[in-house]
Amino acid sequence: MTQSQDQETSYRCGVDIGGTFTDCVVVDDQGRITLAKAPSTPPNFARGFIDVLRQAAERTDQDLETLLGRTSLLLHGTTVGTNVLVQMKGARTGLITTRGHRDVMVMMRSFGRSAGLPIDRLLHVSRHEKPAPIVPRSLIAEVSERIDWEGDVVLPLNEEEARAAVRGLLADGVEAIAISFLWGFANPDHESRMRAIVEEEAPEIFVTCSHEIAAKVGEYERTTAAVINAFIGPATADYVGQVDGDLTAGGYRSPLLLMQASGGVMRAAEAARRPLFTIGSGPVGGVTGAAFLAETMGRPNVMACDMGGTSFDVGLIVDGVPIAGSEAVINQNTFYMPRLDIESIGAGAGSILWRDEHSETLRVGPQSAGALPGPACYSRGGTEPTVTDCNVLLGRFATDSFLGGTMALDHEKALRALESLSGSFDMDPVELADGALRIIESHMADLMRQLSVQRGRDPRDFSMFAFGGAGAAHAVALARELGCPEVIVPLGDLASTWSALGVMTADVLHVYERAALLSLPFDPATVNAIFAALEAEARAELEGEGFGTAEIELSRVVEMKFPLQVHRVDVEVPPGELDETDMEEQMQRFVIKYEQLYGAGSAFADAGAEIGLFRVVARGVLPKLALAGESGAAGEPEPRTREVYWRELGGFHATPIHDAASCVSGFAVEGPAVIDLPVTTVVIPPGARGVVDEVGSIAIDVGSSAGSEATSTGAIGGHHGH
Amino acid sequence: MGTEHGDRRWDGRDLPYIPPAELTIDPSLRFHDDVDDKVDPVNHEVLRHALWNVNVEHGNTIMKISGSPICSYGHDFNPSILDEKADFVFFGPFLQYLAAVSSTAAKWTLENRSGNPGIKPGDMFLTNDPWVGATHQADVTMLAPVFVDDRLFCWVANTLHQWDLGGTAPGGFNPIAEDVYWEPPCIPPVKIVEGGTMRRDIEEHFLRSSRVPGLVALDLRAATAGCGVARERILQLVERYGAASVKATMRKLQDDSESAFLRRLATIPDGTWTEEAWSEAALPGDRNIYRNRLTLTKKGTTLSFSSEGSADQQGTLSAGFGAWRGGVASMLATTLLFDQMFAIEGALRHCEFVPNAGAITCATRPAAVSGGPAVTLIQAVGLSELVISKMLATSSDPELRSEVQSCMGGASYPVNALEGIDQRGRPYSSMLMDPMGAALPALSWRDGQDTGGYAHDLQSTMPNVEENEQIHPMLTLWRKEITDSGGAGRYRGGNGGEVAFVPHKTDRINLVTFASEMAVPMPGLFGGYPSSTNAMRHVRGADVIGAIVAAGRMPTSTEELDGETEWVAGKSFGIQLLPAEAWVLGWASASGYGDPLERDPEAVRRDVADGAVGADWARRAYGVVLVGAGEGLTVDEEATAAAREEIRARRLSEGVAGPAVAAEAAATGGGEARPVAARIEWVDGELRADDVPLGPASGNYKRAALILDRPLEEANPNLQRPGVYVDTELAFRQTVCPRTGVLLQTEIAVAGAPPQWDVRLGSTDVRDVAAPQA
Repeated sequence: MTQSQDQETSYRCGVDIGGTFTDCVVVDDQGRITLAKAPSTPPNFARGFIDVLRQAAERTDQDLETLLGRTSLLLHGTTVGTNVLVQMKGARTGLITTRGHRDVMVMMRSFGRSAGLPIDRLLHVSRHEKPAPIVPRSLIAEVSERIDWEGDVVLPLNEEEARAAVRGLLADGVEAIAISFLWGFANPDHESRMRAIVEEEAPEIFVTCSHEIAAKVGEYERTTAAVINAFIGPATADYVGQVDGDLTAGGYRSPLLLMQASGGVMRAAEAARRPLFTIGSGPVGGVTGAAFLAETMGRPNVMACDMGGTSFDVGLIVDGVPIAGSEAVINQNTFYMPRLDIESIGAGAGSILWRDEHSETLRVGPQSAGALPGPACYSRGGTEPTVTDCNVLLGRFATDSFLGGTMALDHEKALRALESLSGSFDMDPVELADGALRIIESHMADLMRQLSVQRGRDPRDFSMFAFGGAGAAHAVALARELGCPEVIVPLGDLASTWSALGVMTADVLHVYERAALLSLPFDPATVNAIFAALEAEARAELEGEGFGTAEIELSRVVEMKFPLQVHRVDVEVPPGELDETDMEEQMQRFVIKYEQLYGAGSAFADAGAEIGLFRVVARGVLPKLALAGESGAAGEPEPRTREVYWRELGGFHATPIHDAASCVSGFAVEGPAVIDLPVTTVVIPPGARGVVDEVGSIAIDVGSSAGSEATSTGAIGGHHGH
Repeated sequence: MGTEHGDRRWDGRDLPYIPPAELTIDPSLRFHDDVDDKVDPVNHEVLRHALWNVNVEHGNTIMKISGSPICSYGHDFNPSILDEKADFVFFGPFLQYLAAVSSTAAKWTLENRSGNPGIKPGDMFLTNDPWVGATHQADVTMLAPVFVDDRLFCWVANTLHQWDLGGTAPGGFNPIAEDVYWEPPCIPPVKIVEGGTMRRDIEEHFLRSSRVPGLVALDLRAATAGCGVARERILQLVERYGAASVKATMRKLQDDSESAFLRRLATIPDGTWTEEAWSEAALPGDRNIYRNRLTLTKKGTTLSFSSEGSADQQGTLSAGFGAWRGGVASMLATTLLFDQMFAIEGALRHCEFVPNAGAITCATRPAAVSGGPAVTLIQAVGLSELVISKMLATSSDPELRSEVQSCMGGASYPVNALEGIDQRGRPYSSMLMDPMGAALPALSWRDGQDTGGYAHDLQSTMPNVEENEQIHPMLTLWRKEITDSGGAGRYRGGNGGEVAFVPHKTDRINLVTFASEMAVPMPGLFGGYPSSTNAMRHVRGADVIGAIVAAGRMPTSTEELDGETEWVAGKSFGIQLLPAEAWVLGWASASGYGDPLERDPEAVRRDVADGAVGADWARRAYGVVLVGAGEGLTVDEEATAAAREEIRARRLSEGVAGPAVAAEAAATGGGEARPVAARIEWVDGELRADDVPLGPASGNYKRAALILDRPLEEANPNLQRPGVYVDTELAFRQTVCPRTGVLLQTEIAVAGAPPQWDVRLGSTDVRDVAAPQA
């Protein structure tokens, strides 16, 4: 990758655009970190992008042009594509598909009626409804052509129909066209020819072929991917083009890199062509960043947990590699897309406590008070009690130094909100608050359990990385619940803007796939030929982007399954020329991996095995980010104390409260204690012990009570308490 | 409920097992039934979530290990948690009609196995016996008792559809079975796992009759591993929270669902609601039809379901009592307990399911029952949807009335089993899963969902066309939603679908069919039109691919194919589909809700613009006249008003007065009106449509209305003449308001039969289960 050759200080910038704020993190070549935050500026997000960079420039005492001129890499996570899709404000999109199959998008394999719904909505069957179509039937044109599963042409493309289809859609005013034929990935000739016809008829229009986005079996998910790419294409291309232009005009000389949901970045030009890959990239930076930091800390297995105001997101890192998936669901539309497997539930700092009248029991979430009206203690008009109000009432959150002291939290309002509910349960407000925390923590632990234990992974082998505004307040309780021995609060206070930092740790990533069905015994010549072709393509693209041979990392994967079972499993394939022995070993690797995931004895190998998909993941390795240690005042000021409620101790105790000043390398703190950082509160319960490392991360040993009943039944509730 | 039937017993041998109120259990088995008398609200919420997740984890374990398409696409399994006496605590979020199975089987096991061989820690019991409670032999139930301190604390259980357990036809459904001896063997509960170890003798016995013992062994492990995981999780909860605390949450879940159920029942007056449907072809060559009738009686806090009036057990149509009960109960959970996480025990405490021994809904041994789930059971789901909806329509709670729905699509699953040599030269045996894309019903306020799947499943899944073509030697010509198929109505039923294919890269495909709802559609609700039907067509003598290549064009309908079309009967076997031929399978839509003439013309326009409804049917069924095309398509309001008036006038002129004299003059007084149906209210003991009196609430409103019988084909443009399949004459019967011409109710009637008495309000003796006669 070409880099600026400035002899002055050089920088790496990460910009992360969210719905409310645009965050910028700047790291200089000494590893020093500067943060900037500016309001997002919808609908023209490009303006907020430049605003936040200008602010970062000010904070590093230079003008924007100087900063940009000295920036070697600018990495960016954008939600523009996601927003366009979620709000259904994309281009008027037409679809061209195989005659006889236009209903693929309206049938949605039937499960579109409830795909991705949370459990309460899933159980309310009468309310199931397919979402408004991204492409209405009237904008789906059918063209006669047919290719079979082997890629053989049964009926050549009917060019007359093809041209008529394009003209019809253009007459209907479409602004983008998706092309998806049955088996269009097994033999892309018809889709490619169709694209050429579209380009002849309308050279300027945004076109996507399904085989360019996802070369794998399953016309519903592949067609949806192509349609979404076309739908969000023009808006994303405009945005990326504008930002790229502004940056170049501002003096930035390297390529702008955009975050993909897969955890890698891609160049602006590719993002403009395949904007689909940016969808859902929001929470990905956090996991990528956790993987980066975990590697430097020697932690191979990580549960990366992001708890914000409304949701709790979890991604897993196993042996240093984030767990990836290949499907996403947005607005009940399911589509193929390489992505990190991040699961989410509606549990956050703003989750509302309520009483279920049918069962007369306490519930927490999934409704959230959000930023407005927000928790009652924010004094923005909220009156319903939230998780944040519980933290305030229990003394866990400071009322005077929250958000660096810019926002006072009203203890009285929190109390009143909780009192409004506690009476109906015959509990006092403190009991209620602690009970609500136990409930929300159990929901979060359930999600983490699904991702770990239920997928054959033992939480005891994992470190929990806790970030997002509220992660560090609940992490130790969660870790104990699951049996995780350790919690890491990455870079201390940076935990709250961890996603923006994480974006900067990503490498350039491209995924190349080819579908081909191979049965046992696998023919090594075919396997070699397919991988050789994919790898040649990968190298050519990365070399074209300026990567040298040493910076290119290729890894091979095949998707395998047993013919009579439905599970498809990604199995690594060794590099180089393969022979029969390698093929036999491939089968063994498959069985081992299958049984790891699905349980001993679950593999039914009598019916043979199949390879269905070949994949090369190509990584253009960017220079590793280096972080500097906090070299602040090592003097340990006498901590203040605050009355904090500890369920382990059965009541309020005067608790040492530390702040950012004391949070320097080597600082150790025994629970019970609270560390009030400007935007993060770290709660260290009795029995836990935290240590600050050389880059400012706080590692918490959760103590011997991990996984024991002490965590949630100690003082109130539980059979001991009654 | 009595447990005696003449001199025979409801013991699960010849008659189905019906658990008595007090189980007879060997005294050597001790129970752990300590319960905290006070439930901590926080612990309860944590435990409620945890127990629900035990079921989810249990289900995921089964799906993981089994990996079978039936599990993953058909969702043909469900885990459950039962309390120590085998009443439901939680039932999983998968296939709902398996609802009745595990509780009944566990109770039978308590009564019949607690002495010999005994129920001990670490044991698991397996059964597939339809008379003990299984839905059919292919659905195998695994029961695991959970012990705390050597006392039985609760049960975890699952039911899972297996690949093949033997019998004269591969797979679960045998279209030529004349009795149970043609079918997979029935296994009453046996101790398959003893003290934590699977018994090899029992396992080998179980696998011995299967055509694919290796795969069944895997499913067996999926079932035992699922129970194992669930048992371990429950024991962890017991260790942490205490047995009495966990049990208190179990009881509270049952009690909460009961009180939610009772609160809802309290908004509903006493009454009796009836619906009926028909199956055809008990065996290949049979051209008769058979009635499936469901009557729901509400009296006070009790619901009673009866199938009195249903046909005697017949050939392959019969279902076991457990299958029928599960089908009926599945709609109780989805319409009345959606906010109680389907904790169905609370409802079951107040429901009676009256067995009708010897009917198709309650087969006695040795009737064949393997096909029951595909026909009589699913039909019972649809009937249950309709009778429960009729009952809910009378609720004073508008929220509850918003659950009112017509009949879902695919109320008989058209089984198309395929077999032969695949494109790679290997033998295969499989079944088309495309009809899982059934259709969701119309609600009382919203249209149904086209190809939206089943109402008793939370997420029905159709395979991709490409997946079908990858594993079967076939080339799919088209797969589409069927225009005009969804029952017409003020709110339209969801459209059904159709798939057509030719054999590809093989010399033939062998087909076996097992389906009903071919000749007779399912009824609409409150004036809504009926569904479409399942249809299977064999197109012969057409060089399909040759013609496609010659024309350069793919066909999108049967009409575009050359050759002769044969309408295939519901039960058939030995069909050979050759490469030059095509097979077209259509599956039934959902029915409609309310008089189609009351549909917003704009909604009709949208449907026509979208291709869901054709302009001709819009005119005939909805009386909506459209002009223009594409985005210029608009409603001709004047012509629409005239067309609707004309249809109403024809109803009034052609309808004949009911069999009895019309009701007396309208009662005076303006008491509070209670809704009864889309256009019928109950005021001062009398039924009225608008201000038109329809007689006393305890009588049949149809006597005071006009009855209009029309040929069945007029009910839905996708229906075939019934004469294609059956010899019975059938009519599309419309009950019309004698003054306004509004359609009050529709039914499908055997010609000459009196109008069905489908709504009878007022107190009725619950035990008076005889079907009300008009």
